[in-house]
Amino acid sequence: MKHLYRILWKDHSRTHLLWAFLGTMAGFVLLLAGIQFYSDLKKILSENRDLLDPEYIVVNKKVNIGQTFGLDRPGFTVEEIEEIRAQPFADRVAPFVSNAFPVSGYTENERFPDFYTELFFEAIPDEYIDVKSEDWKWNPEEGIIPIIIPQDYLNLYNFGFAPSQGLPQVPKGVISMINFRIRLQGQGRGNYDDYSGRIVGFSNRVHSILVPLNFLEWANDKYGYFKESMPSKIILVSKDPTDPAIIRYLDEKGYDTIREKLKSSRMNIILKFVISFLVVVATIIIGLSFLVFLLSLQLMISRSADKIRRLNKLGFHYREISGPYMVLLMILLAGVAGFSLLITSLLTKKFAAMASEWNLEISPSLHGIIFGIGLGLIFLIAVFNMVAILVNTRKLCR
Amino acid sequence: MTIRLEKLIPIPLLEQGTSGSGVWDQEAIQFERGKHYLVEAPSGKGKTTLLSILYGLRKDYQGWVFLDQQDVTSFGWKRWSILRKKHFSFIFQGLELFDSLTARENIELKNAITGHHSSSQIEEMAGELGIKPFLDRKAGILSFGQQQRVAILRAMCQPFDFLFADECFSHIDSHNREIAFDLLQRECRRQGAGMILTSLNNMENLQTDVRLRL
Repeated sequence: MKHLYRILWKDHSRTHLLWAFLGTMAGFVLLLAGIQFYSDLKKILSENRDLLDPEYIVVNKKVNIGQTFGLDRPGFTVEEIEEIRAQPFADRVAPFVSNAFPVSGYTENERFPDFYTELFFEAIPDEYIDVKSEDWKWNPEEGIIPIIIPQDYLNLYNFGFAPSQGLPQVPKGVISMINFRIRLQGQGRGNYDDYSGRIVGFSNRVHSILVPLNFLEWANDKYGYFKESMPSKIILVSKDPTDPAIIRYLDEKGYDTIREKLKSSRMNIILKFVISFLVVVATIIIGLSFLVFLLSLQLMISRSADKIRRLNKLGFHYREISGPYMVLLMILLAGVAGFSLLITSLLTKKFAAMASEWNLEISPSLHGIIFGIGLGLIFLIAVFNMVAILVNTRKLCR
Repeated sequence: MTIRLEKLIPIPLLEQGTSGSGVWDQEAIQFERGKHYLVEAPSGKGKTTLLSILYGLRKDYQGWVFLDQQDVTSFGWKRWSILRKKHFSFIFQGLELFDSLTARENIELKNAITGHHSSSQIEEMAGELGIKPFLDRKAGILSFGQQQRVAILRAMCQPFDFLFADECFSHIDSHNREIAFDLLQRECRRQGAGMILTSLNNMENLQTDVRLRL
């Protein structure tokens, strides 16, 4: 049998096979490293969502001129809400409930200047609110309305309004102690009640003046007389706020949200784009070098055509004649698999060391999936080439 | 094992005509194990074609070739491979040696498939054929006559029921030809095999059981 190998291996082109080998290896390293880093970066991005708090996304319709003149109906219809709810990225969805009657608030405290303002209230289920407070409950008997305002409002007052007007700044704790009076105005003159209001928390998530849902439902039932309006905002919870489908959907529907919150989604899109570019390049390289492999082996076989015919005449089955080519293919592909995994793991180690300097945690060892993908591809290439070798040698045999 | 031809004509000979042939287009021609046949014809009458058809290398013919009552067109790759390894041996007119291998390696390539002869037996036969001094030279640099004897020796390095020898003495002098023919006949007898020898008209004075004119 050793003579068979000597005869058939003699006609290989070293440069062809070397280029095929190097090309396939480069493609593999690019592909495997790309997938490895992508899965790491994706994990980092999704860990960062706590920081960006985009899990809870408040969505509203873009305000257009038609709405300003009352021609267009603002707010979400039941069907639109249901459609959002049906999106794969939407885990939970809740519409904002608004007050259906006039609300105003004023202060009754010597230590603070008199203060009167018309207000609005909105309510969403408690599970969507980032403030947990024992005072966040409504009891008609007690008559105290707990209120959550955006952190930004307090900041606006403390760092914008108060210094410019010579007013004292107020820390969070003091604000919570201030009692407001809240007037709920029903239909008709004199049909109103005053309640106590207390700010029980500051939200970083929801930019609105929030009251407990059961309070607003109770109050709307008791005082409400506005025409039933559609919710102008909805809040949606997404398991994966980095999913680029969210931004795509919102853009497509003309909905708006605070874009900052979907930053990681944008970053994810960019990352996906870069990685898919990398994967495309890697695939092209692998495809080309796969072709070079195929062609080199075919060239080898056709260069040896006379010898193959001769061996066939001497009684060798085409499968036996294919043997030396198969073995050569296996050696080369095993080399590609071994070297590309080795190089990728070295790159990963290096990259992880670099990333840890930037406080990014990246796995220094290859993920199991990388081995799976690498070996799976090698297997595919092997099978394809083996079939090609068999077909090509058989063509020469009788 | 018997080979039986019925109404056999190679397609390329259809136009040329086969009248007067003792083999082509005959109702039935039978080759039997243990018998030695000499097929004579001038060039271009299809001597190589006949042997190639029997050996499964050519399928462009009309009529039938039966091997032990089995139509050979039904044979697949595997069957032909086994036949060529263990039942049919062929001394090709074109020799089909590998130039890059030595004479010995060329012989070993065939002998290794079945391990038919020991290396000392091969050396002994090489000695008889007068090629022992050249065994370790590359086949490509041997003279055609020497190469022919290497091919003859190689053909004996396997078990066979039939030996096909295609003008295998064309470049060997009469003395060496007799030695080689004698060696072939002895090996055939030892194996109880049949031999089908082709030759140009009366070129060689060879003793066989049956003479056929192609």
